[in-house]
Amino acid sequence: MNNLPHTHHSQPGWQRWPGILLALAITVLAVSGVGALLWQAPAIEVSELWASAYLRNVLVFTVWQAVLSVTFSLLLALPVARALDRYRVFIGRTLLLRLMELSLVIPTIVAVSGVVAIYGRQGWLTTTLGEWVPFLKWNLYGINGIVLTHVFFNAPLAARILLQAFENAPVAQRRIASQLALGRLWLWRAVEWPAIRPVLPGIVALIFTLCFTSFAIVMTLGGGPRATTLEVAIYQALRFEFDFGRAALLAVVQLLICGALWWLALRKGISPTLAPDRALTQNDRRKNSSRVSLLTNTSLLVAFTIFLLLPLIAVFFRGFPGLADAFLQPSNGVSGSGLCSATIRSFIIAVPAGFLAVVTSLLILFASNPRISSTVSRLCETSAYVPLVVPPLVLGTGLFLLLRPRLGVPSEGLVLVSLINSLMALPFVLQLLRGAFKNTAPATLQQADQLGILGWHRWRWIYWPRMRRPLALGMAYGIGLSLGDFGVIALFGSPGSPTLPVLLYQQLGSYQMQAAAATGLWLILLLLFVFGIFSLLGRRSPTVEKQTLHSRRILEPTHA
Amino acid sequence: MLDVRNLTFSYRPEDRPWSFGFKVAAGECIAINGPSGSGKSTLLSLLAGFLEPATGQILWNGTLLNPLPPWERPMTSVFQEYNLFEHLNVETNVGLGIHPGMKLTPFQKRAVTDGLIKVGLKGLEKRMPAELSGGQRQRVALLRAILRDKPVLLLDEPLTGLDTDTRDTLRAMLLELKASGTTIVLASHDEEDRQVLADHQWSL
Repeated sequence: MNNLPHTHHSQPGWQRWPGILLALAITVLAVSGVGALLWQAPAIEVSELWASAYLRNVLVFTVWQAVLSVTFSLLLALPVARALDRYRVFIGRTLLLRLMELSLVIPTIVAVSGVVAIYGRQGWLTTTLGEWVPFLKWNLYGINGIVLTHVFFNAPLAARILLQAFENAPVAQRRIASQLALGRLWLWRAVEWPAIRPVLPGIVALIFTLCFTSFAIVMTLGGGPRATTLEVAIYQALRFEFDFGRAALLAVVQLLICGALWWLALRKGISPTLAPDRALTQNDRRKNSSRVSLLTNTSLLVAFTIFLLLPLIAVFFRGFPGLADAFLQPSNGVSGSGLCSATIRSFIIAVPAGFLAVVTSLLILFASNPRISSTVSRLCETSAYVPLVVPPLVLGTGLFLLLRPRLGVPSEGLVLVSLINSLMALPFVLQLLRGAFKNTAPATLQQADQLGILGWHRWRWIYWPRMRRPLALGMAYGIGLSLGDFGVIALFGSPGSPTLPVLLYQQLGSYQMQAAAATGLWLILLLLFVFGIFSLLGRRSPTVEKQTLHSRRILEPTHA
Repeated sequence: MLDVRNLTFSYRPEDRPWSFGFKVAAGECIAINGPSGSGKSTLLSLLAGFLEPATGQILWNGTLLNPLPPWERPMTSVFQEYNLFEHLNVETNVGLGIHPGMKLTPFQKRAVTDGLIKVGLKGLEKRMPAELSGGQRQRVALLRAILRDKPVLLLDEPLTGLDTDTRDTLRAMLLELKASGTTIVLASHDEEDRQVLADHQWSL
């Protein structure tokens, strides 16, 4: 007999196989995607990478904008997280936190339209600044806009994760620190730095990857050989130049760079908490803040809130008249602009994608039980992060080749888009579910083992009550990410039947600014609707359950 | 009769293994003595099946328990802490001990309600464990163990850190349980606990 705990028995193999197979399928998909491109390529010139000025530029630009984006995001996120950690009770804190979460799901293309409305040539801020400081030359298009938008998206994400790390610092440490009246430097060294050090490599790797593989933002704000990322170059190589060899080469380069970064970040087995946990500690007001830091922190938080809100306000104000028109005059509005059919199409893609992402995440979590095999467990979870580094295009190509002989239906494209979207959402959804699933204390599992709470009962009584909210949130994220997707649909959709983001892109391209603003606002409203519904679903059940239990108890005397 | 024969275990292969061996008759209580770190908790985990011994046998009335998973062993554990499912209310915590899927007959439901009254937690069915004091939590844990009705009770410092009144209540419950035929293996630092509950002592 071996020396491992008995708890093995409590998870039969059939619960693990689906997840392992799915993880394998994802890996096969990525490999076959790259493989297919390499196969199709007539001849790959690796030397092209440094010989061709274009490719060299693309590579340098991709890395450079990602480095800048990571740096600025962290420089903004760190003080914001510290300030939020220091002041745990103030009016609007929760609202600000929700606003920061929103950045994860706002469709890039909508955010870009908001950013343009503020910082673009005709933008509010640009024109105002132009009057005050006329000598200031600011051009949104190119690296400025790309980095700015990346910071808009990633600073709140980083701040949320950092805040969570700060809040997880032991309360006792905090109290001792404030009792000793530690100065700012020592507070940082003794409490704050140790708290964030474990998550920092993960954050850097995540934001770098997101910026490195950025597509929609670069498509809209960049362009030209001087502001193109690898992901866009791959798209162009495949869609316009039909140069499979170059696409494969670039995909491999992207894979190598991002893969190496993740390997470096996770080498020590630190698991990055990539998605902010919603359970925030509501502690009392802390007493270690001087008046000066109160002032600086307040202004910092106000500035940050304005930075996040401005583009959204712009989308709202510019979109409102157009949206009102679209609904009040259906003849040339909703149906005329195709808003209605685009909405339906978007949901047909997004709902299955969200559902699939949640189910796949769950199965992968079930499969990755480190107590059984740490290798299998690590492989399973790593496979879920593959979509972060492998371009959707490459995944799509793999999927296309794998499914091609079977799928003869006309909606083939939509199925493909839905599948790839669910893959793209996988890393985020998995991260949301992971915490709730893995944080089940060993003592709890032992108790469950002893009481024989196994199989379905285990799911119902041990996992489900704890995972109901993350599951609902995961569905919302999955659907939301896919609703706002522009990258995958741009590759596999046809312009004749657009989803909402594609419609928005087309409207921007044909200078129908009011219609575009309306579409953007509509998309945001739909997202809020999706999140509202699912947070309601995640929250409502406990009371329902309580009520049914209660009513059963009241009815009891008639049985007895 | 619980018969533990030459049970050995070590967390790391290079450590010198612990070795356990004793017998308890049905309806009796044996106290395991030894300083902290001497393997008391490990022994209880081995008996419950949370850990697997390197060698040796655990026999209950002549049946070998070693191959059985925790849920098929005739045992219930009560630890010093973390006995309850923090995300489930008191009623569910107790009920899951009776049926692992909460499928309770009206009679069993009544038993839970009555049991809570008996341990002095009347009307706290819907409370979450976090809303209870340490003593109340321990009463819930013990009530679950009682209603689960397994022949062997494994107690790991079950009364440590509780106030005198709660200790008295719980001791009385344990004595009653023993009188009704439950075999108890008790690991406790507390001399008084051992005096009151144990019929035999075994030192590590």
